[in-house]
Amino acid sequence: MSAIRLHKALGRVWASEPGWRGWLTTVNHTDLGRMFLFVAALYFVIGGILAMLIRAQLASPRSAFMGPEVYAQVFTMHGTIMMFLFAIPLFEGVAVYLLPKLLGSRDLAFPRLTAYGFWCYAFGGAMLIFALLAGIAPDGGWFMYPPLTGPIYAPGINTDFWLIGITFVEISAICAAVEITVTVLRCRAPGMSLDRMPIFGWYALVTAVMILTGFPPLILGSILLELERAFGMPFFQVAEGGDSLLWQHLFWLFGHPEVYIIFLPAAGIVSTVLPVLARTTLLGYGWIVAAAVSLGVLSFGLWVHHMFTTGIPHMGLAFFSAASTLVAVPTAVQIFAWIGTLWKGRPALRLPMLWLLSFFATFVIGGLTGVMVAVVPFDWQVHDTHFIVAHLHYVLVGGFVFPMLAGLYYWLPHLTGRRRFFRIGEIAFWLVAVSFHVTFLAVHWAGLLGQRRRTFTFGPDDAWSLLNLVASIGSFVLAIGFALVILDVLVNALIAARGTRNPWGAGTLEWAMPTPPAAYNFASLPEVADRDPLWADPDLPVRIARGEGYLAGAERGRREILAVDVASGRPVQVVVLPGNTALPIAMSAATGGIFLGLLLKTYWLVPLAALVVAAMAIRWVWCLGTDADAGPQAVGHGLRLPLASDSADPPGWWGSLFLIGTSLTLFGSLLFGYAFLWTVAPNWPPPSYLHSGWASPALAGIGSLLACLGIRLAQRRLRRGRLPLVPLGAVTAGCGALVAAAVTVMAGTSHDAHAYDAVAWVLAGHAILHAGVPGLMSLVVLAAALRARLSAARSGPVHVLRLWTDHAAAVTVIGLVAIWLPGWLT
Amino acid sequence: MTELLRIAAPLSLWLASFSAVYGLEGLVCSDAWTGLELDSGAGRAALVAAMVLAVSLQAGLLVALQGQRFGSGVPALRRISLVLGIAALIASVWTLLPVMLMPLCL
Amino acid sequence: MLDPAGPAAETIARLWWIMLAGGGAIFVLVMALLLLAFRESGAEAGAGARRERVWILGLGLGFPLTVLAALLASALWVGERLLPRPAPEVVGVGAVARQWDWRFTYDDAPGRVTRGVLHIPAGRPVDVRITTEDVIHSFWAPRLAGKIDAIPGHVNVLRLEAWAPGDYAGASSEYNGPGYLGHGFIVRAHDPEAWRAFLADAPT
Ligand code: HEM
Ligand SMILES: [Cu+2]
Repeated sequence: MSAIRLHKALGRVWASEPGWRGWLTTVNHTDLGRMFLFVAALYFVIGGILAMLIRAQLASPRSAFMGPEVYAQVFTMHGTIMMFLFAIPLFEGVAVYLLPKLLGSRDLAFPRLTAYGFWCYAFGGAMLIFALLAGIAPDGGWFMYPPLTGPIYAPGINTDFWLIGITFVEISAICAAVEITVTVLRCRAPGMSLDRMPIFGWYALVTAVMILTGFPPLILGSILLELERAFGMPFFQVAEGGDSLLWQHLFWLFGHPEVYIIFLPAAGIVSTVLPVLARTTLLGYGWIVAAAVSLGVLSFGLWVHHMFTTGIPHMGLAFFSAASTLVAVPTAVQIFAWIGTLWKGRPALRLPMLWLLSFFATFVIGGLTGVMVAVVPFDWQVHDTHFIVAHLHYVLVGGFVFPMLAGLYYWLPHLTGRRRFFRIGEIAFWLVAVSFHVTFLAVHWAGLLGQRRRTFTFGPDDAWSLLNLVASIGSFVLAIGFALVILDVLVNALIAARGTRNPWGAGTLEWAMPTPPAAYNFASLPEVADRDPLWADPDLPVRIARGEGYLAGAERGRREILAVDVASGRPVQVVVLPGNTALPIAMSAATGGIFLGLLLKTYWLVPLAALVVAAMAIRWVWCLGTDADAGPQAVGHGLRLPLASDSADPPGWWGSLFLIGTSLTLFGSLLFGYAFLWTVAPNWPPPSYLHSGWASPALAGIGSLLACLGIRLAQRRLRRGRLPLVPLGAVTAGCGALVAAAVTVMAGTSHDAHAYDAVAWVLAGHAILHAGVPGLMSLVVLAAALRARLSAARSGPVHVLRLWTDHAAAVTVIGLVAIWLPGWLT
Repeated sequence: MTELLRIAAPLSLWLASFSAVYGLEGLVCSDAWTGLELDSGAGRAALVAAMVLAVSLQAGLLVALQGQRFGSGVPALRRISLVLGIAALIASVWTLLPVMLMPLCL
Repeated sequence: MLDPAGPAAETIARLWWIMLAGGGAIFVLVMALLLLAFRESGAEAGAGARRERVWILGLGLGFPLTVLAALLASALWVGERLLPRPAPEVVGVGAVARQWDWRFTYDDAPGRVTRGVLHIPAGRPVDVRITTEDVIHSFWAPRLAGKIDAIPGHVNVLRLEAWAPGDYAGASSEYNGPGYLGHGFIVRAHDPEAWRAFLADAPT
């Protein structure tokens, strides 16, 4: 078949709907990647405007422009927007757009999930922007320390917008992270073993796993604080056995990894772009992978360095001071590997390279001041001053925005299919690169002189008066520079001349397609035998277009990709992906109903919306099943592979695995919180414990036994070709018993008497949710069994259910025992 | 997956032992510790023992990753997991050393 | 904090100047290596293994590990010396923060409470026990010492000392609501005579 005919056939199957409907129903990663990038850029502009308001206010002493209340909303929203609505979603956009192309796949593993995540982001962000425009935005600073944000000192709805809106947005981060993890592990080109994977794939994998394990503490913290605000459950109120320090631990347990979640993708872009522009390969690929993994894990052991002034014993601080200095080592490994790469090659000073140089100059300073504030006594002085503000902007702008701009200019020809013609970008670069340092060097010094962050003005005699004027002037130039970048990108995207394919002479697969890319990326999936397939075989793009790879065209008239073995990249399954659908946007709107109900305290809406979400979720998974075994499918080159729906581990199984990992970190954080209150909070132990009697523990024991044995039996029956109706019923009954046992905990405690009771309620509620979900799932699987949608081959749903059942049994039993144990011992 | 576990394991072990030692330090300095009628000498002993345990576990893991049975068969991945094993060993000594040098609860 | 008036602040200021010098040197070194990569002579030859040894083992691992070990050791050593260890000449005072004022009590003059002004003897170490009645605040007199937070239900102790009599500005430095900017206090250091007089004075 000719390349044109292949293109037409694939286009028919993969295209999004035409017109505006296409935006709402698309599940294609190229579309959604662009949508993520666009909305994130929009938030950068909004956050930037807020930054300009801050700098305008601080330009002169005793400025009457803003009062303290407005200023508080502005700095809180600036930080919140930049961290949650700009930085993380921008990474998601880059990964969603690029990953399948870099890895040689046609789409991500769960296209509808990508869309669902995007809409959660869009709706959650809109809630916060509404609050900003209505003048009821959050005002407690981006880390929202209670008691200032608790029910007593912040009775308004402002804080609720933060807790509920951000949690909603976080759903999108979790969705994207599951998506990215499974895609990197399972949806690569045939032959792309882990050690042949483009380096960005490693960074994206580490980042995604960090999101999965780093976000749960914040989600938990937000839930607890909202429960305290809405129902008076005293997690952070010291008089009733709470402790405000618990929030700080939970927040920074998330907050520090967050910083590396932001930096690592940017480092991935540096590692990708820099060697190409130096016309060589990356020095020390294995070392860089090791460094990225080290950063990822080490960054979870640093959180207390944000709490050096909270009175923790010096030995405790010393652990974190040591860990914080140590984390500079893998960073140094990467920096020097990159410089070594430049020495190895012949670097060209193109625009992306300029941004990379600016990245080095800025990020190295941010890293050095970072090591300084890891020094405990020094932090005692500069903590909460503008020195910290300057440090964090050197890291975030230098370590994230600048590399992202390098990436933007590097992949712009790919996004638009055009070559850059208008040269506004160079002027913009110099404006930004110089004025950034003018602004934030001044801010450093103002902090050293004693200017506290978050103070809305200062007097003419304060030593930092003049420095603030300098910083403000610098920041206005900075804003003009960024505006010119946007202008440059717009004109070059809209009216520049068509470009050639692969303008930088890169070696990775995203350049093996015509640009702008077609919805299906590759007309056939290439076999990969090298880290830089295009350098190894310059004719590869032509051969892909001619259909010489796997899965050429769309012969079976549906969207198909390959799943590969994790380590070796050997193809093992054909995955049939869903087509355009409005289900994701509808389901995220229904999810929004849950959050809206909580926000407006119209609690009847919550279960209603949850019911709609559950119904839609059932519809969602139902579509994945088939009525008969399809048997092996021809994928080309004489290879025949089973469909994912005919396999024991379809992508949904892998997705569940990682989602359960996330759920377990949330559960772990909850147990940590419980233990923390027990040892540290002043008003412990509580006046009385819950005494369980013997019936509830027996119920929990029997329930978990029933569920775990039932699901195993179901697997065995199905393997032997028999329908496991009774064992599945046992799973339902077991989950029901677990729920009932948890309900007795709520009946035996009052939710707001003491932090102990409040924790008991949360643990019980957690158990009800986590046992209820597999209970419901078992009913769906039962229905599938009755409709003959299960077989020895089509056993995926049962294996997925097993993951969730075991997880439910574990967290329910552990959680309930944690509540009952003190009662048993006394 | 096992290949990835080999890569993730060393530093995850560090994270677990690091957090555990920090938690133990919190316990030693809390009222609960005095409630158990234990003194600061016992606290120091517990912390040092925990550090020794953590470092030996880390060293044991490194040896295992080097061996035939648990080590990776793919040379590139094997090197990465060994580098990370050494990094994690250094990390446990580096970050836990304060238990030997610093005053307990000041 | 760059104009110290007491031993703790002085130690930290000295630490800052040393770190600034060291950090500056490292920055210059990295930038020089970076820019040298762009010199005309083109790619420098050399085997891959040797390159990895120099760039990764040497510069990436060995260099930072050495510098950081030295820095960390001195940082912990300095931190140790700033801790509030018990000693006979130490004066004890209490500080209670709330939105938005400070009240101070004195161990040597029970019942005595001052608002907005903390009186201390000059030339003697003072332990301030800090807590709060409402939200989180932070006690910071930058010319004398670092800061420590006032946290509900907890009492934190900060050691400070002023070399000479005089007034030193202090402020809360953890955001605590609209009154944050004005939530300051003054540390008034007295010579021994004035200190005795202050303690002997009737409660106001
Ligand atoms: C574009 C130029 C930017 C300027 C001129 C700027 C300016 C500022 C200023 C002056 C503050 C301190 C406000 C105060 O404490 O009174 C601040 C806070 C902050 N900025 Fe930026 N910023 C910029 C970009 C960014 C970016 C790109 C990010 C993150 C990716 C970011 C994240 C933050 C955060 C997290 C805070 C702390 C907010 C808080 O205290 O709650 N900023 N910014
Ligand atoms: Cu941090």
